[in-house]
Amino acid sequence: MNFKHKYVFLFPGLFVLIGILIFPIIFVVRLSLSGWNSYNGLNFIGLENYVRLFTDDPRFWESFIRLSFLSVTTVTLQYVIGFALAHMVWKEIKFQRFFRVLFLIPMMTTPVIMTVIWRTFFHESLGPVNDLLQIFDVAPKWLTDPTLAKITVIIVEVWQWTPFMFLLLLAGLLSLPKEPFLAAAIDGASPIRKFIYVTFPLMAPISIGAIIIRLIEASKIMDTVYVLTSGGPGTSTETSSFYIFIKGLREFQMGYAASMSFTYLIIMIISLTVIAKVLTKLLLKE
Amino acid sequence: MNLVGENLSYKLTEELQLRKISFNFEKGKLYTILGRTLSGKTTLLKTIAGLLMPDSGSIRFEDKNFLEIPVWKRNIAMVYQQFINYPHLNVFENIAFPLKQRGLDPQKINDEVFKSLKLVGLEGYEKRKIQELSGGQQQRVSVARSLVKNAKILLLDEPLVNLDYKLREQLREEFKNIFVNGLSEESIVIFSTTDPREAMELNGEVIVLDEGRVLQVGAAKEIFENPKDLKVAAISNDPPMNILKADLGSNKIKFEDIEIDIPDHLSKLKDKHFNFGIRASDIELNDNGFEFEVELAEISGSETLLHLTRGNLKIITSIEEVMDFKIRDKVKINFKSNRAYAFDEVGNLASSPFRGSNV
Amino acid sequence: MGKLYTFLKYFFITVWTVFVVAPFLWALTTSFKDFNSVNGGVTYIPWVDFEPNLEGWRVLIKSPAQGGVDIVEPYFNSLFVTCTASLVSIILGTLSAYALSRYTFKAGPIKNNDITFFFISQRIMPPIVLSIPFFLFLGAVNLLDSLFGLIVVYIVLLMPIAVWIMVDFFNKVPREIDETALIDGCNPYQAFYKVVLPNSIPGLIVAGMFCIIFGWIDFFFAFILTFTEVQLLPVKIVALNSSITPWWSLSASALVSVAPLIVVAFIVERYLSKGNLSGAIK
Repeated sequence: MNFKHKYVFLFPGLFVLIGILIFPIIFVVRLSLSGWNSYNGLNFIGLENYVRLFTDDPRFWESFIRLSFLSVTTVTLQYVIGFALAHMVWKEIKFQRFFRVLFLIPMMTTPVIMTVIWRTFFHESLGPVNDLLQIFDVAPKWLTDPTLAKITVIIVEVWQWTPFMFLLLLAGLLSLPKEPFLAAAIDGASPIRKFIYVTFPLMAPISIGAIIIRLIEASKIMDTVYVLTSGGPGTSTETSSFYIFIKGLREFQMGYAASMSFTYLIIMIISLTVIAKVLTKLLLKE
Repeated sequence: MNLVGENLSYKLTEELQLRKISFNFEKGKLYTILGRTLSGKTTLLKTIAGLLMPDSGSIRFEDKNFLEIPVWKRNIAMVYQQFINYPHLNVFENIAFPLKQRGLDPQKINDEVFKSLKLVGLEGYEKRKIQELSGGQQQRVSVARSLVKNAKILLLDEPLVNLDYKLREQLREEFKNIFVNGLSEESIVIFSTTDPREAMELNGEVIVLDEGRVLQVGAAKEIFENPKDLKVAAISNDPPMNILKADLGSNKIKFEDIEIDIPDHLSKLKDKHFNFGIRASDIELNDNGFEFEVELAEISGSETLLHLTRGNLKIITSIEEVMDFKIRDKVKINFKSNRAYAFDEVGNLASSPFRGSNV
Repeated sequence: MGKLYTFLKYFFITVWTVFVVAPFLWALTTSFKDFNSVNGGVTYIPWVDFEPNLEGWRVLIKSPAQGGVDIVEPYFNSLFVTCTASLVSIILGTLSAYALSRYTFKAGPIKNNDITFFFISQRIMPPIVLSIPFFLFLGAVNLLDSLFGLIVVYIVLLMPIAVWIMVDFFNKVPREIDETALIDGCNPYQAFYKVVLPNSIPGLIVAGMFCIIFGWIDFFFAFILTFTEVQLLPVKIVALNSSITPWWSLSASALVSVAPLIVVAFIVERYLSKGNLSGAIK
């Protein structure tokens, strides 16, 4: 089909999106080449911001490595747990609908609001976690110890977003063709063999899609960190987004923040492409 | 007044291919487009419908440039091989849809829909949901929907291919009646199929299509009796016609170590080397015949297909009864040489049993 | 083997269920506590560990002057922004998705897949990258701290989701249905709304749910682009958190804020079972 009507379908959405984005995108590039102060606004300084970023700002790169660590860890955990949960409620199980709905609920809740609850939950003296840990006579500093704070962030992220992974993987499992499973059943394959040789390979393309989607979303970690630890203690839970936020909207070094944003975006696009390629190679060998 | 297409072509892509197709379809007639999968049948039908726009060429109908009329104003009807109906509407609403679109008054719509339901044998089903019907019934609904419009051009794109064997036979019979009796003198029916038998049974004008080209046009009988060349012979026969490299001796035809008498219509061939063509149904079991070995035996409907070998020779024969053969069984067969065809070395028909060498 | 697997399965499900439910239960009990039952050691079971009272819930409907937390207005702001932005995104996104699924576009090297990718790739952008220019942009057109400004930004956030789900959905609807509608006398617009749309309701619902989820749970844009005039729910709750709001009213307001979207979980599950989401991620 090819009628001129097609433009009437495509263009409103496309132009609204471009219309809203065109200014900000051009502006980020322009801003990244500028200094900013409240007296004379933008002044063009060329690549100075980028030079500073690449030669004189270890904090940015540390925050990026931290972000990579946090995203990869949380997404891996989410994938393993999400897959296990999806696999468990995929077939006949008691209260199947109840569990499916229950396992979805965390992703429907607003992360910052739940994080407010988690803060009270992990409170050092008044929270239930440390109260129960008293039995073992320990009182971990969940929010103020550099290592533990990272773990707390991971726990909260896993709680919040495993449901999304669960949802994507369960949708994938429900869409699988039945024939390979019948064949495996006829061959008398054990459940473990069935999983390794049938379920998992069939799920590979869906897994890759789900992991990439989650990595994209996880790389934006920001809300949770802001409420839970504010990047602290020190900079131990500071992610790239959070650092850019501090530079841009706390210290109002807008130009520098823009150059970081732009650099960050390009690194993200490259690394996501590489990860997608690697995953495809790993999981789709055949 | 006819539907005339001239030099319709598409730039070659994987899905679309037509190369300089021309046709002249008259009203009141049934045309069958016979061709294998991907030969361009669907592309041609969709081009006539207006769903695809050819890169070059023209179509005229009733003295108008048809290509300038958008599909929704062309007054055509089309039945697809997938059973396409509107899933959100029930049977009645489905059939009434094109009429409502035209803004007819409800009483008239009602009458027309019931008339058309009766024609396809679905009375009493008007309240059903589409998903509650069997495949055959769904296809009847879409036929009814295309009949109800009284369209001047009715396109059927392999409408029977997705039905099981029995239903196909039955619907094919019914279709014939519908097309002969149910349509006005004003309509052009174009039916595409891969099945030569279907084309023969519908008995209309046949257009043999291959790789986007028209190979031969003619009455079904003519295509059957005098296939223009080896390609047409292959497309218009199922199982395909056996083609054997043969030599014309002084009084025998030889292929491999077999010699048979020359039938009259092959005696005047110009070339000594030719392709000997014989239909699977023109090879019979005969105790005095040549010995072949069974390579594969399949039963299809009420006949048995035998794939036979003898040395380098491979032939297929069909026997009009269900018989049990085992692989490597020996059978003796005879060629009904008075029904044989000769094609010259480039593949063109040199002699047919119906028209001798004057082809 | 079978028994061990079953045991492990139920064990794991139980552990996860406890983990999922724990913060909700904790918030629920906390919302009925008072100063002593929060600060005088950790308490769990109402009537046994502590005497429950409704103070935490009562403040929700009180005005700030009476010592309430005043989340009613942010609540409606959030609802309004989320629903409006979702609706616009679904309408525009569905139209674009339909075009991308059915028609061929070509502009130089740019083809359908590239346009689809352009839509979806907007999700890759971290909020912070967009928020600085949006902050300046909305400031320039005087839309900072306004509902309309937020809606505009949320459309960028949500339209990619709508396009992503709907392109995939339309690809699964046989195009012969549209073609039949055209043959039956519909022009392309009529074919879309008389035939394609009525058969796309499951896809529209799933896309709608996803837009609502990702609109409702956003915090960052609302946080940066609004100050005092307009406040959305997540921002309000976080503000409560950083002030000296007692835990019981904090818990109650948090619970009220996350409650409505739990309905969405039921809807998503229902459409999931019908297999309407399956293709979306391949």
